[in-house]
Amino acid sequence: MFNERQLQTLHAAIDRIIPEDDFPGGVEAGVADYLLKQLGRDLTHLAQDYPRFTDALEAEAQAAHCQAFAALEDGQQDALLTRVELGEVEADWPLDPAAFFADFVEHCAEGFYSDPGNGGNRDGVSWRMIGYEVNG
Amino acid sequence: MTHYDAIIVGAGAGGGVAAGVLAGAGKRILMLERGPRSEFAQVPRDHLRSQRGSFYGHNAGPDIEGNPRTLEDGSIVLPHQRGYQNNAAMVGGGTRVFGAQAWRFMPQDFRMASIYGVPEGSSLADWPIDYEELEPWYERVEWEIGVSGTDSAMTHLPPYKRPYPMPSLQPNTAMRTHMKGLEKLGWQSLPMPQFINSVDYNGRQACIRCQQCVGFACPVEAKNGTHNTTIAAALRSGNCKLKSGVMVERIDCDDGGRVRGVNWIDNAGERDSATAEIVIVSAGAVESARLLFNSATKREPNGLGNHSDQVGRHLQGHYYPLAVGLFPERMMDNLGPGGGVATCQFNHDNPDVIGGGMLADDFIVLPIISWKIYVPRDIKRWGLSAKQFMRDRYRCLGDIKGPVHEIPSPEGRVTLDPKVRDKFGIPVAHLSGTTHPETVRTASFIYDRAEEWLRASGAEKVWGYRPDLRLSGGQHQAGTCRMGEDPAESVVDPWQRVHGHDNLFVLDGSVHVTNGGFNPVLTIMATSWRAAEHIVEQW
Repeated sequence: MFNERQLQTLHAAIDRIIPEDDFPGGVEAGVADYLLKQLGRDLTHLAQDYPRFTDALEAEAQAAHCQAFAALEDGQQDALLTRVELGEVEADWPLDPAAFFADFVEHCAEGFYSDPGNGGNRDGVSWRMIGYEVNG
Repeated sequence: MTHYDAIIVGAGAGGGVAAGVLAGAGKRILMLERGPRSEFAQVPRDHLRSQRGSFYGHNAGPDIEGNPRTLEDGSIVLPHQRGYQNNAAMVGGGTRVFGAQAWRFMPQDFRMASIYGVPEGSSLADWPIDYEELEPWYERVEWEIGVSGTDSAMTHLPPYKRPYPMPSLQPNTAMRTHMKGLEKLGWQSLPMPQFINSVDYNGRQACIRCQQCVGFACPVEAKNGTHNTTIAAALRSGNCKLKSGVMVERIDCDDGGRVRGVNWIDNAGERDSATAEIVIVSAGAVESARLLFNSATKREPNGLGNHSDQVGRHLQGHYYPLAVGLFPERMMDNLGPGGGVATCQFNHDNPDVIGGGMLADDFIVLPIISWKIYVPRDIKRWGLSAKQFMRDRYRCLGDIKGPVHEIPSPEGRVTLDPKVRDKFGIPVAHLSGTTHPETVRTASFIYDRAEEWLRASGAEKVWGYRPDLRLSGGQHQAGTCRMGEDPAESVVDPWQRVHGHDNLFVLDGSVHVTNGGFNPVLTIMATSWRAAEHIVEQW
């Protein structure tokens, strides 16, 4: 579904949506795994759009910085994603940047905060972070 | 063909109670349920697919594929999607995964038209029975199914004749904070009555205070539904045959209006049928109406019991105003199920609005639901600040919400879709209209009280959801086969027998004339128990 380049871009973007701090970032916490699982399950209708989204992020990075998105500094990635969030893009986007970005953010949160059975939230790491404990 | 004393369609709150009463009286019954009979492990604790958070599916049915409904705008909706008005489909029905609130309606809830008058365009009406009539059955259900609570705190009701069989669960941090808020305001404060064992009861253990209660099955069966009480007893008696995974296609009725039995289809597509002395429809307000429509005869071409065009009308559930507060201190201490302190201060006698509703704090909110619904709308939704808001403040969120007594409209209704069919080839329910706009005014008033309570409890910031006009139903669905003396204005009589049919009954929320400002399940069980006992007495 994703080629190597697209996957790199996707991972870089996920780690800006949920950056690493004292707790793991999105990719380490399994958000990409969640997303890939969902693209074969409930989000099959986005299976074509997600690679296009990463291509567009890449094109945006090339247009603004002549560099790969994944190679940009955190601050540059954040600034670029903020423009996408606002729909203020320079490259030619095959999909609505603001709308797709909003969905992407929700998908990342689903992977991070839902139960580990969904493929993300590895070992319940986000639940430990926020203090949600499960017994029984 | 096998002949039974009674066939019950639907193994939820109403049908489950009926099974227990009839089988206990020695009647040979067949119980048909379209959903499965599931073990705990077969009701997944999936935070994206549960009856609490149906973002991509459900954990308790019906199946996403093959069970569509249609809406007024022509769209086809699936069971987990907005507008479907879903209720769980499995043995135990909603009681398998409910929040287990065990509220009695108030005496005033049965007399809404007399107290408030009837707003133009609404079908607000009094029930044909009153609180006094239902009180012994409330008590019966509280003891037989098992409710924990504090009767002396229920000051909005006439004094209880018998206390609850179990004491209330001990309060958690959020509840104690909200109790202080109520005290400050001078509002009534009470521990929510719950179908949850606070101590070992009826051979099952006490609640382990876990964090995944509402929307999920109980890992220790301390949550009391029909699946582990009345249905279990019916099966133990040897008088009840339970078939799960079968969809009833139609009720078979002769030209004189006498019901002969039912036909069903199993998941493999095989058709079968059985006959019975009586048939009890307990499929929930949407599906019970649908089944009556789909059982039309020459004599009643618009559906059984529908000679007065009442079947499917007055669909109602509850509007839920929800206010969320950010507190300086931690509210969430992981002591489940959460949701335990309530006030009935505003169910009635409110200035300039009709009725009202109970308000309470909510169950422990799942992290993903907190993220999607509870976090303040003005925070940035990505980046370090979003992550750290959840890290630092998830446990500092508190909420107050409650079910508003809806003002029904005859236009809020279930009909049959003329074209769309389910996986069995049976015409599906079409949903249209809304509740009466007066409901919005009442809900808005109640929303303001929820905010007021949160502020009194110490919230530093408050926001929330004020309901808009819409059709309502969902897990609290009711009203589509309303109970009444007059066949011109109702579908069943006060004993829940379908007008014009000696041996056809409806025992579920469909019969509610109005739905109270409370979770309706205790009332569904109480009316069903009363009607089932009457059936046995009259046999």
